[in-house]
Amino acid sequence: MSPGRAWILALLVASLAWPAAVLSQDVQPDAGTAAVGQEAEPPPVEETDRDALTDPEEEELDARAAEVASGLRCPVCRNQSIVESNAELSREMHRVVRDKLAAGETPEQIEAYFVSRYGEWILLQPQARGINLLVYGLPVVALVLGFFLARNRLRKWARAEGAGGTEAAVDGAAELGADDEQWLREALREG
Amino acid sequence: MKKNQLRWLLPLAALPILWLLYWGMGRDTYVLPSPMAGVEAPAFQLVSFEGDTIKLADLHGRVVILNFWASWCIPCRAEHPVLVQTERTWDDTEVVLLGVVYQDSRANAERFLNQYGGDWTHVFDPSQRTAIDYGVYGVPETFFIGQDGQISLKKVGPVTWDLVQYQVDSLLAAPVAAAGVGGAGGAP
Repeated sequence: MSPGRAWILALLVASLAWPAAVLSQDVQPDAGTAAVGQEAEPPPVEETDRDALTDPEEEELDARAAEVASGLRCPVCRNQSIVESNAELSREMHRVVRDKLAAGETPEQIEAYFVSRYGEWILLQPQARGINLLVYGLPVVALVLGFFLARNRLRKWARAEGAGGTEAAVDGAAELGADDEQWLREALREG
Repeated sequence: MKKNQLRWLLPLAALPILWLLYWGMGRDTYVLPSPMAGVEAPAFQLVSFEGDTIKLADLHGRVVILNFWASWCIPCRAEHPVLVQTERTWDDTEVVLLGVVYQDSRANAERFLNQYGGDWTHVFDPSQRTAIDYGVYGVPETFFIGQDGQISLKKVGPVTWDLVQYQVDSLLAAPVAAAGVGGAGGAP
């Protein structure tokens, strides 16, 4: 396969992967568009922080809550988790996560709760199912395909080198169109 | 790979991109998809300005318009006349308009209502748990809940009179299920 065709094939794979990646994100509302006709960020509201926690069990619960919450998107920010965000709504969502964990719910149940309310967009990492599988699968396919393309190309070049340099390289270009071949021969002659 | 194969391979590579362009240009970016439409409205129990406890379950059999708003929200002012008109048009034995004050103080909310009018019931959601339970991003957001307790529409942004009229008329005309208690899940 010529380098030109390898490029075309790589483009084909990329063009398939791109819409899949866009789709997985775009089926969910963007934080920017969510604020259309709305005011997403409120003025600062006084909040009473929880008391400093020293109990190991509480600390462990906090750590688990932070882990679950780090996978949930802040609804009023751009690509921030509810752990990173200082928005009032995010902090309350974080507390909801903690309360639900304390009530014995699993991280999966908590994620399912937020997905049922906000849609899958609320998850920072798309779930590996349905059309989302393309996002996970196509990069691997592209990588494997690229590996084989590169290997074949290198082997061809190695064979051409072994068979006697530039003439062989020109022979190796037998798959080129007649015009290209003519141009290549003239270029080699001039060079 | 033969040259003939390239002839169809190139257009084929362009197809997903063309499809994406077609899909992207054909959709209304102002419409936010929500998983809440068509599901049973989450139960809530909130306290009104007057100190009454308002439960969604008690409103079963009536159309409920649940409007999340705040005095600091400029689009809320824009939609307020529509809500005033809504309150005047339907009797509250048929249609209940309920304002949920979101991230705001009582004093500011009352000042807003004194300035712009509106006699319908308003409740506080101090912990925002009801807002989260309804998947609220910001204000204003309005939920139209049918007589059977199902959410028919979540409107993000200011409502228009045409939208309210269409939604309420449709929900009033819809047949009411004999059984069922309003409210699913509930605020955590």
